[in-house]
Amino acid sequence: MQAVRFDAVSKKYRLRQPSTRRHEDFWAVRDVSFDVGRGEMLGIVGHNGAGKSTILKLLSRITAPTRGTITLEGRVAALIEVGSGFHPELSGRENVFLSGSVLGMRRKEIAAKLDRIVEFAGVGPFIDMPVKWYSSGMYVRLGFAVAAHLEADILLVDEVLGVGDAAFQIRSFERIGELRREGATLIFISHDLSAIEKLCDRVVLMNRGRLIAAGSPRDMIAQYQTLVTDSFAAVTADAGSVSAGDARVENVFFRNPAGADVPGTRTGSPLVAAVDLDVSTEIDDAVVELFYYSRDGRTLHCQQSTAVSDGVVTLRPGRRRIEFFCESIGLQPGIYAVGASIRARHGSGVIDWWYGTRMLYVEPGKSMRGHFFAPHEWRWADAAAEAERHPADV
Amino acid sequence: MGVTVIRPAASAWMHVGEHLRRLREYADLLYTLSVHRIGVRYKQTTLGFAWALLQPVMMMVIFTAVFSVLAKMPSEGTPYALFAFTALLPWSFFNTAVSGGTNSLVSHTHLITKVYFPREILPITYVVAALFDFAIGSVVLLGLMSWYHVPVTLHALSLVPIVVLLAAWILAVSLGLAAVQVRFRDVGVALPVLLQILMFASPIIYPLSAVPAAWRDWYLLNPLAGIVSSFRDILLRQAAPDPYPLGIACLVTALTLPAAYLFFKHAEATMADLI
Repeated sequence: MQAVRFDAVSKKYRLRQPSTRRHEDFWAVRDVSFDVGRGEMLGIVGHNGAGKSTILKLLSRITAPTRGTITLEGRVAALIEVGSGFHPELSGRENVFLSGSVLGMRRKEIAAKLDRIVEFAGVGPFIDMPVKWYSSGMYVRLGFAVAAHLEADILLVDEVLGVGDAAFQIRSFERIGELRREGATLIFISHDLSAIEKLCDRVVLMNRGRLIAAGSPRDMIAQYQTLVTDSFAAVTADAGSVSAGDARVENVFFRNPAGADVPGTRTGSPLVAAVDLDVSTEIDDAVVELFYYSRDGRTLHCQQSTAVSDGVVTLRPGRRRIEFFCESIGLQPGIYAVGASIRARHGSGVIDWWYGTRMLYVEPGKSMRGHFFAPHEWRWADAAAEAERHPADV
Repeated sequence: MGVTVIRPAASAWMHVGEHLRRLREYADLLYTLSVHRIGVRYKQTTLGFAWALLQPVMMMVIFTAVFSVLAKMPSEGTPYALFAFTALLPWSFFNTAVSGGTNSLVSHTHLITKVYFPREILPITYVVAALFDFAIGSVVLLGLMSWYHVPVTLHALSLVPIVVLLAAWILAVSLGLAAVQVRFRDVGVALPVLLQILMFASPIIYPLSAVPAAWRDWYLLNPLAGIVSSFRDILLRQAAPDPYPLGIACLVTALTLPAAYLFFKHAEATMADLI
């Protein structure tokens, strides 16, 4: 039984050149066909601009295809944050009704779910207050909570899991699981490969508007990584002595200082990250790097072997392991994607680039505000403190 | 389970039945958005809904002062204030709904690029909200009629189909202009001037009988002419509306509304790309 059928779908955009006033055609999606079975969870991966978001826009009917047809069986809902559709003068409650209806819910349905939506968003006592008094976090959470309670046969999810704090992200994940158990078909778009691998039954790989492969999440992620590495290597290719294939990053995992495997740490607590390497040819003066990404794909932090010591890292053939030790992780509570690379310090060639399915979980630790935590101390610095510190001088 | 088929943009206008069925499915959204539109309009104003009353009354006072006292405009034997207000009521309905409706798509870009719903709902909600003001204005008109000792009889109910016709014409204009404005923002800029011209090209401040016979047929192509004069025929003279102007208004609307709707649905398919 098919829930979604894409039949030779193409989408053309007209780009207007303001200087020449000429039109240029851009095919965002080109001749794409695939089926999604009922109850199946399909992931779509690909670079930025590969056509993933256009597919979602076509599925959610925001825009119509240029060619081809899409057949959908059942009610479609997009799990998106529509808080921007809120009216600031209206109360949270009124806005739930407003954005719920915009998303296609009936008033009765909204009324029945109101309590659950409010609880999910965690805005309890503020629900009858105009949303213009809400904090931006409450605003976004309420908007997302409405979407998360849509009753849909087909659910479209686009990178929304980056909304809210860690606790809210976990609740969102749980909600997706719940919808799945209820038999919903899910189509999931994300740069977060670990989430894709965890959640999806099948994955399609997009490249420049075309569907280039479909299969199991593991295979497709591997193929996507090759695609990423290839295009990355093509950009940075260097006719040096090192070449791709001389060494590979096999795995990345986390430990606590005592040596036990852990899924993550707390903000402000220590973390050991181990990078397993498989070296086939000796590499002089290599740099091993470890990247931490936000869920929308931004690089938040990078640990480098060369930044830790000035010594030359020579990679000898064999299976090697490098550990990065961090006294105090500065990342906010949340879930982060992890990547690693090996390159030669001189010459820009990347030997291997790994974007794995490993996630780093950071739980709330040292109380923090702002974007990141940095280790710090404090002391009294006024005259009285000086006198206390040096009583003999008086 | 309902099956939805999404077809290419080029053929979007061919499936009218499907569009209308979908519009009915979204009746709840139409209701919620319309109520929202009415409620929000006067929110944070001290006088609140009184503005719906005050606006046409103020227009009437100014028009009476300028066109009756100063310009000595003919009013077919009716007190000018009542004569003007009878026409201002349908005109305000048209003016408010078309101004709001034409801009309704570009003022909801955030929704159009994020969520699907039948886009015609946006202009329609402005028509509904303006109809609400029209209803309040009607109460003022009844008060004004009894003040000037013009009998209020059940005959006034024959206005109902005329109001339906007016709403249909408003909808046709709003749908057409809104769809064009997504691509050409010039419409929104030109609209206030166009509306002003249209007001003088309709029998609002003067009677239809003042239009020279030679221009009359061209003049009546504007459905507002037939509609507004029917308002006066029914309310001020307790007569049946003149069938000729009203007939032309019906004909023009009957041809325009389906065309405007199809054009709108055709434009809808790629609206999110252009807006």
